[in-house]
Amino acid sequence: MRAIHYLQRYWQLYIMLLPVIAYFFVFKYMPLYGVTIAFKEYNPFKGVNASEWIGLDVFRNIFAMEDFYTALRNTFLLNGLDFVFGFPAPIFLAICLNELKFASFKRLSQTLLYLPHFISWVIIGGIMYQLFATNYGIINLLLAKIGIAKIPFLSDSSYWLVTYTSVGIWQSIGWGSIIYLAAMTGINKELYDAADVDGASRLRRIWHITIPGIRSTIIVLMILKIGDMVDIGFDRPYIIGNVMVRDVSDVLSTFIYRVGLQNSQYSTATAVGLFQAVVGLAFVLTANYVSKKTTDESII
Amino acid sequence: MKAFRKGVMQWFLVCMVFALVLVGCSSGDNSKSEESGESAVSKGADTNVVEKPKERVKLRVEVFDRGNAPEGVTVTNNEMIAYIQKNFGDPNNIDLEFVPVPRTDEINQLSVLMAAGTAPDVSFTYNSGAVYNWAKQGGLTDLTQLLSENGPQLQSYIGDAMNYGVFDDKQYAVVARRVNLEKYTSIIRQDWLDKAQLPVPKTTEETYNTLKKFKEMNLGGNRTFPLSFALTPDSYEPIIWSFIKEQSDEARYLRSVTIGSREYPILADGHKDGVRFLNKLYNEGLIDPDFALDKDKKKKEENFVNGYTGIMTSDVTQYYFGGEESQVNQLEKNVPGSSVTPLLPWTDFEGKTRQPAYTPSGMYIIVPSFSKRSTEAIKYLNWLAQDEVIQYMSFGEEGVHHDVVDGFPVRNGSDADKKLLFNTGDMLVITNGIDFGSAERNLAYNGLVIDEKHRDAAMANRKMSSQDAVRQPIAFDKPLDSEAKNSTIMLEKYEELLVKAMMAKPDQFDTVYDAALKDFMSSAGNEVIAERTAAYEAMNK
Repeated sequence: MRAIHYLQRYWQLYIMLLPVIAYFFVFKYMPLYGVTIAFKEYNPFKGVNASEWIGLDVFRNIFAMEDFYTALRNTFLLNGLDFVFGFPAPIFLAICLNELKFASFKRLSQTLLYLPHFISWVIIGGIMYQLFATNYGIINLLLAKIGIAKIPFLSDSSYWLVTYTSVGIWQSIGWGSIIYLAAMTGINKELYDAADVDGASRLRRIWHITIPGIRSTIIVLMILKIGDMVDIGFDRPYIIGNVMVRDVSDVLSTFIYRVGLQNSQYSTATAVGLFQAVVGLAFVLTANYVSKKTTDESII
Repeated sequence: MKAFRKGVMQWFLVCMVFALVLVGCSSGDNSKSEESGESAVSKGADTNVVEKPKERVKLRVEVFDRGNAPEGVTVTNNEMIAYIQKNFGDPNNIDLEFVPVPRTDEINQLSVLMAAGTAPDVSFTYNSGAVYNWAKQGGLTDLTQLLSENGPQLQSYIGDAMNYGVFDDKQYAVVARRVNLEKYTSIIRQDWLDKAQLPVPKTTEETYNTLKKFKEMNLGGNRTFPLSFALTPDSYEPIIWSFIKEQSDEARYLRSVTIGSREYPILADGHKDGVRFLNKLYNEGLIDPDFALDKDKKKKEENFVNGYTGIMTSDVTQYYFGGEESQVNQLEKNVPGSSVTPLLPWTDFEGKTRQPAYTPSGMYIIVPSFSKRSTEAIKYLNWLAQDEVIQYMSFGEEGVHHDVVDGFPVRNGSDADKKLLFNTGDMLVITNGIDFGSAERNLAYNGLVIDEKHRDAAMANRKMSSQDAVRQPIAFDKPLDSEAKNSTIMLEKYEELLVKAMMAKPDQFDTVYDAALKDFMSSAGNEVIAERTAAYEAMNK
């Protein structure tokens, strides 16, 4: 009875919710039946249903492929680097921006820092080749002018990792800082004033007020990021990578593209995707659990 | 709170049902409308007494998009399409729709279209492995019957090349003819030779010494890369093949692999020496050190037209094509006093200029099994094979699009010509190149399309590429499963092998090469070689 009464009062809210639920259902849940092709000998001309079941053969096949392990290792490697260096970067930037006195300067630098986020990786890739190529790259030409030997930014595995990580940070740092800046506006100004009165230095204020103020945001984003550990975007490693560094640049997404699309082995590609999803889920749950136990913050 | 949760659950369920119904409806509608469409067709056929005006149908045809359409026209809307619609479409009550596919991503796009069941009724690709895979999975229409009923002219025009499209005794593809089988040619900077006081090199050794001399003298300035080189077959194939010592068919069957439409003699005696030679060229600074990043030959061509390159190799006489804008003309404009001479730079262990050539087959044209217009598709291809259609679609009208020179139609390069014929090769899919009846006449025609100043050189250059040429790949009676499945992986692993081995320090070459070869073999090579061996034994029983 109370439920009906409740609905009578708030039904508009549920109507508004409807399209969102429909979206998730149609675009996120319905395609799930396609995952079954990971357990089938998928023949696109017969369709999903008529293709034959083959149990776990596809997975056995994948786990016997050397390239799969290379791709998996590289995925963790690149994501790990992004996590260690790329994750704290926007926090650092947001704190710096937050400390700026002049509002107009702050806005200007924020806007400039967002910009790279809107540039497609294809274009970034083109710019990078102009900048970092070993022989004609602007940076190497400049280095040569001051007598420093050429640095193989793109063709040596370890240098490439540095290039990959730093370009990633450059591209996403501004955008990533938005959410922290938003969280900082929620911090009570009186805390800062009180700290001022107590004679706290700027660093002390950051350490004891700003960072605790955005702690929950950091943790939520960190858990999500850990969940994405096996999930890696396609464009960035594919475009920045090249044949000389394939040892470290071939990741699961490019592996799926190569095997699934270029070689038309859709079952294999789906199975790798499913594997990614399962491992990703395990990561999120673990991170969530650990966070709940240690800091009392969690997302589920 | 509990009641609230219950409420939410109920609402959620309602939503699910609602969404399900929605989805169910939409797919139901689709099938219904298709059915009614079909019955309309059959009804139309029944009630009409006159034979011709059947229900108007739509025929979808693939077309490559190279992004080169002149201003004002597109690959899907141009004068050529209007001509086809008027002369083939309208009389047969067919509406033609051209479906653009980007040239560079052609096979991936077509794979997706095939898997999604939306590939055009007339589709094509150069990738025989993919075609074979589709045929095996039941994705292609068997054209045997249709061709004998609707394709007499097509069959006689294409002739023997048609056999390349037969898998398991069924004609699954119409295979285009390839008229010109020459594959690669090279030229050398004559002004550099003069400065170095050297003759045109005639053997690999002489070529190597010439390149060294070019480098020593820095004839192109600080960026002198005496030999053009990119990570593309036109750079490595001619050199690698000149090092192969095994000439027999047996060796090619058992120690080469076919990737796409190319033969890679990866296990043959001499392959390692070829790569070692490339390693030497790299370590001595004779090729562009960034070659591995140049996968579309842009840098290679840039180097050449800017005068940094001594010997340029490309697809047959490519650098002479394009009239005033040809690469050779650009070079002569950019570097005053420069000129080029054709040459055959590489010789094998017997002193022969062994080099790759094409087989006389071109694209694989297919009709997907889900196509409802297979008859119309073959009718269309058959229509393309008529003399006057070939003539118009290749050269347009005399005086408007081409002039007659020495009895050959030669396109005049006018705006009208470009508008009608900018993608003639992609429209007239049944042949690659125009056949004028004999090798001499074809050569003469190929000369006419090149600007007068360079015509003789280009013709001599083209002739050279047939000397000791070997048609590739050597083919089994049907494509091999393992090669179809692994073509992309093999190509990537092969490129990796080349790059790693070439860029290794000379004293580490053996280790790096052996490791890369092992990687190639374990990821796909062993499987392919095993199948090739079995197929070869079966062929010789």
